[in-house]
Amino acid sequence: MNIRFPKSLRILAISLAAIGILALALSGVFTSLSRLVVSPLTSIQTWVSQQYQGVENFMSASQDIREIRQHNTELEAENARMQAQIVELQQQLIEYEILSALLEFARANPEHKYIGASVIGRDPSPFLNYIIINRGSDDGLKRGMPVVTQNGLAGRIVQVTATGARVSLITDPVTRINVRIEPSRSAAVLSGSITGDITLEQIPQQAEVNPGNLILTSGLGGNYPQNIIIGQVTSVRNLENALFQSASVQPVTDFDDLAIVLVIKNFNPIDITPLLPDADTP
Amino acid sequence: MSVILSVPVLSIITILQSAVISRLPLISGTADLMLVVLAAITLQKSVKTAWQWSIVGGLLTDFFSGLPFGLFTVSYLITTGIAHVLRERVWRFSFLMQLLVVLSGIIITHTISYLVLFLQGSSIQFTSVLQAVTMPSIILSFMLSLPVFIIVQDVIEQLKPPE
Repeated sequence: MNIRFPKSLRILAISLAAIGILALALSGVFTSLSRLVVSPLTSIQTWVSQQYQGVENFMSASQDIREIRQHNTELEAENARMQAQIVELQQQLIEYEILSALLEFARANPEHKYIGASVIGRDPSPFLNYIIINRGSDDGLKRGMPVVTQNGLAGRIVQVTATGARVSLITDPVTRINVRIEPSRSAAVLSGSITGDITLEQIPQQAEVNPGNLILTSGLGGNYPQNIIIGQVTSVRNLENALFQSASVQPVTDFDDLAIVLVIKNFNPIDITPLLPDADTP
Repeated sequence: MSVILSVPVLSIITILQSAVISRLPLISGTADLMLVVLAAITLQKSVKTAWQWSIVGGLLTDFFSGLPFGLFTVSYLITTGIAHVLRERVWRFSFLMQLLVVLSGIIITHTISYLVLFLQGSSIQFTSVLQAVTMPSIILSFMLSLPVFIIVQDVIEQLKPPE
């Protein structure tokens, strides 16, 4: 037999049952029961959660490694680019310093007109202290023009082509330059050698020459302009019965590290060969 | 090896000599790369154009050098002659022959250079030349000889037509 209760009664009964269950739960009657049911579930949930975390970490980590490797490759490439850029900038800085010093030299000696040139090589023979520069007759260079650096005299042009020129350095064995010793203002002749050392010869015996004295071009002979600094006296040799004194000179220019030079364009060397006495002339 | 090939190859060698090797001195001596290369080429038995290569190498070096024109050509031709004699006389030559040719080549080049400069009026002392120029040049050229000899040998082997 199916007994049917009125709807309001059923709602009331359900509400009372719910309130009863809540009251029992709040009073702690269900605690031991819930512990019994929930504990294994919690353990299972913990295990499942740990496995899920592990899989998630593995997936995300492999993706991270890929990203890190890619990032590392990019950084290495960028590092290589930066290193190349640093080398280039260092080179530019050195060039800038040299050019700045050369400009300073040109400003300090405004009586001359200069043209800059890069040193592109040296003579293949070790017997000649020559350099090759990247300016030639197309740039107005001529044989005999003096060549200087920011520190002082370097040499003079001995051969010119359209796009290049050969410069004989003052250290070359065939070099002979008329110079003046300061402060005594004594005249002497500077000569080079096969080893690259330069010496002063034909210093008059009465001249007072000491280490530290400056050597400048005298302009005599017409091959070089006056008052270009060459170097400093390092030691003086004065033999008792010799006609002249001689001295060793430390050049102001570093000839092993020549990169950029200035050619003095407005100096025309004077050829005094016709004025020299002929050997056959009595 | 073709003589036409000698012009670009030896031009590069001349530029390397002037721009790099001559800037790396030992005391006042520098290695003679052209001489080392020509010696290595001449000592290869399959090379039939060594004389022509020597002339091209000598002329190119003469163009770059301030020494009287022809000095290097003559020196390299004499060195090539020495290398030819060694190649014909010695049955099994080795790297030691390369060193011997380079040594004689440098002595010949420096002797001629010294004599020419001496006749031109340069007061260069012979002992200074020997100590500061010739001996260091020989040492530096010997250092270049082994790698150059191996490279030249390999390149000629590659270029040799199959028999």
